[in-house]
Amino acid sequence: MKQMSWLVMALAATVAQAAGLVPQKMENIFQQTQAPLVTFRLLFQTGSAFDPAGKEGVTSLTAAMLAKGGSQSLSYEEITKAMYPLATSFEAQTDKELTVFRGTTHADNLDRYYGLIRQMLLEPGFRDEDFARLRSDAMNYLKVSLREGNDEELGKEQLYNTLYRGHAYGHHNSGTVSSLEKMTIQDVKDCYARQFTRGNIVIGLAGGFPNDFPARIKQDFDALPAGKFLSKLVVAPSPAEGRRVEIIQRETRSTAISFGFPIQVRRGDKDWPALAVAASFLGQHRSSNSHLYQRLREARGLNYGDYAYIEYFPRGMYLFRPDPNLARQQQIFQIWIRPVPPEAGQFALRAGLFEFEKLIQDGLSKDEFESTRAFLSKYAGVLLQTADAQLGYALDSEYYGIPPFSAYLREALAKLTLADVNEAIRRHLTSKNLQIVVVTKEADALAEALRKGLPSRMVYSSPKPKEILDEDKLIEKHPLHIDPDKITVLPVTQAFQ
Amino acid sequence: MNWLAKLMILTCLCGPVLAAPAKFFPFPYSVDRLTNGLQVITVQSGPSDLAALYIIVRTGSRNEVEEGKSGFAHFFEHMMFRGSKKFTPELRDAILKRAGAEANAYTSDDRTVYHEFFAKEDLDAVMELEADRFQNLNYSVEAYKTEAKAVLGEYNKSNSNPINKLYEVLRETAFQRHTYKHSTMGFLKDIEEMPNLFDYSLEFYKRYYRPEYATILVVGDVPREQVLAAAKRSFSDWKRGDYAPIIPIEPPAQGPKTAQVDWPAPTLPLLAVAYHAPAYSDEKIDKAALDFLVPIAFGEDSDLYQRLALKEQKVDLLAPDFDAKVDPELFAVLARVKDPKDVEYVRDQIIATFERFSREIVPAAKLAETKSRQRYGTALEWDSPNAIAGFLAPYIGLRSSVATIENYYEMSERITPEDVRRAAQQYFTPANRVVITLAKRSEKEAK
Repeated sequence: MKQMSWLVMALAATVAQAAGLVPQKMENIFQQTQAPLVTFRLLFQTGSAFDPAGKEGVTSLTAAMLAKGGSQSLSYEEITKAMYPLATSFEAQTDKELTVFRGTTHADNLDRYYGLIRQMLLEPGFRDEDFARLRSDAMNYLKVSLREGNDEELGKEQLYNTLYRGHAYGHHNSGTVSSLEKMTIQDVKDCYARQFTRGNIVIGLAGGFPNDFPARIKQDFDALPAGKFLSKLVVAPSPAEGRRVEIIQRETRSTAISFGFPIQVRRGDKDWPALAVAASFLGQHRSSNSHLYQRLREARGLNYGDYAYIEYFPRGMYLFRPDPNLARQQQIFQIWIRPVPPEAGQFALRAGLFEFEKLIQDGLSKDEFESTRAFLSKYAGVLLQTADAQLGYALDSEYYGIPPFSAYLREALAKLTLADVNEAIRRHLTSKNLQIVVVTKEADALAEALRKGLPSRMVYSSPKPKEILDEDKLIEKHPLHIDPDKITVLPVTQAFQ
Repeated sequence: MNWLAKLMILTCLCGPVLAAPAKFFPFPYSVDRLTNGLQVITVQSGPSDLAALYIIVRTGSRNEVEEGKSGFAHFFEHMMFRGSKKFTPELRDAILKRAGAEANAYTSDDRTVYHEFFAKEDLDAVMELEADRFQNLNYSVEAYKTEAKAVLGEYNKSNSNPINKLYEVLRETAFQRHTYKHSTMGFLKDIEEMPNLFDYSLEFYKRYYRPEYATILVVGDVPREQVLAAAKRSFSDWKRGDYAPIIPIEPPAQGPKTAQVDWPAPTLPLLAVAYHAPAYSDEKIDKAALDFLVPIAFGEDSDLYQRLALKEQKVDLLAPDFDAKVDPELFAVLARVKDPKDVEYVRDQIIATFERFSREIVPAAKLAETKSRQRYGTALEWDSPNAIAGFLAPYIGLRSSVATIENYYEMSERITPEDVRRAAQQYFTPANRVVITLAKRSEKEAK
């Protein structure tokens, strides 16, 4: 029986690989220019989806030990002193499948900077004091910063955790509080040996580096632990069934809302450009282009903004453009409704669902399609405005097996039709099965109100156009279709525990 | 790695030191002025398909001198998106959308900056949009009142982070009369009152949205002639105003002052230690001298950080903050303390560091290294036309010039270790000191 299932799995993996689902080993990328700066993106094809059970967060912690800890020769104190005159730093970003170490230096300082980061990655110190500090930082990030310092990010990350419960993506990249409590330095050393290997490294370099530099890096990074390229098929999570609500209770002034569901579309798939248009129309990030923004913020003054996404975009409240190298096999569609006064919470949720359902039902108009297509085509240039972004996007294109992003997107958009977009909406977006996460103080009262499904009257403190008030009458009693048994309240201390 | 290699890496001056270049800001630029006083600056940042258009208005929360009007400059920034005579918000959005533009704005103490980043062929269209809202802004009372709620939404989303509260209380405690006493967001009670100030908003526009308060900045691969022609075409009819607010002068500090904030939710304790410090100047050396202490005394390589964050691990955040402002502002150090029982110790260590640099002279080699670091640091910032424009905006806000950058860095070059010590001694005094702590209620009581 065991042998049989092994064969089945091997066969499935082969089929998946043949179908282009499992990421291949990525190629190195060298983008040489005349610029006075040199940017590194040293990427490993590994991430928190590779954390062993019980060791959630170990990949991220290992990456932190490399980028924010000492090497074998130099303590971290010595490294920060050595970085001082270079006016730069070295950062690590761990996502589900990709971990990237990045930094930029002036070309004058290339040898010194590279000398430092080379030893940090190839000769890590794994010192106890660095481990104590970085583990404490990871725990405080979950317990204090995320739980108690940013309601919006809390809601978004909990949405991911809930949609992916029991799945390889089912824990925050930093881990869980309980797994971090039990983590040991040996776990980190094992993770390094297992996941940060010759087989997994992808070298990204951009800027005014000398001609012989790529060969030098490639040779140096042969010193990584031996290991084959680790591929991992990440299957779709169980689809959300019906509409479910999780309400996180904490002491807060406002009510933050996110909702979403898994989608089976990523860059390179036939429908990705079409969905990108749909998401941009519905909720272009922090832009007054966003349809949701126009209806909820602009027309009604409900909150600071409302947006929609088909790719993971952490730290969105601090950034205008997403960080690269968050590429994944599995994505979700999500809507972000920024905090509203608690008395408007139910109405805001209904309004978000109402607009979303309208999108699925009606699709985009010809005008909406043309203008959004025109926008995205040009906006690609804005996304790639720095050498670092160009390098990051080039690496992601490697991951997805697509041409350079700008060309890929513009060519796809040029061929796209309105029908393509509306069909993609119907094919991939569902308003029937989704997970809602709310962060609010009066959690039990909200749960009760949702169970009862009573109308949520919206009262404004100033006159609104008739068109809005008429629409409100529909929104106020718009059926929520939430199964009363699928509403849970949890204290914030349970999030990421 | 052997000891020799280690020695080479650690011996800081073995490596390149970026010597003071002939010009600190390397990009060619031109400064023009229309007859109505509107300044137009064009910067050639090299080949690029994209151009940045920044309009800097020399008005911020500092200008909010009237009681009950804190936060209004920021609120007014929001109103600038609510339509103008020729362009409704929908039409404006549609034009910017077709241009693939990233368009936004921000307000700070001393300035409000409207910025767009787009394909350079769309410059004329975007300039026309801007010209209309800067001269013919037009919104209804309903739109006005609705937008006040979006501003409240902005306040709400920031409210879950206790660091915002810490800064609010720091400023309120530190300043007695000057308008830096309130944050750019403003007091909540004033935000809540905003819907009732429609007429005042029109007055605010008349006062400040005038050519003498503004600079148009274009960075990219756009010829000066094209920018000037577009500016003249769209902005020539803009009329000068004559309003100049009287900003209260902050009296000499009579501290030390302290305040404690009770935070209703669980949090690690936060601490801010700040001193009244000089305003931006490219003539007086005090600000530039103290700017060196930001990395030297409180950066990641400083003795304090290495001890508190790395060795003793008593803080998981230690960050200096000393901005360049029109009027004297605060040199602050923010810390997040991992154990409530260490708050006083951390506070005392930070204060001791301020005092240490009032007595001790920074070694000459360290100062030279820091000057080089400063040059490398700014070079790293210039990685797109948008970033270059963002770098220039504060200087244009402060001095309506790009040349001030040259003056500032030239002056910085000549600063000596004794200059730094003397400035520290002058400003880091008990009378100038403000200390704010923030903790969850019950933890504070337990202490």
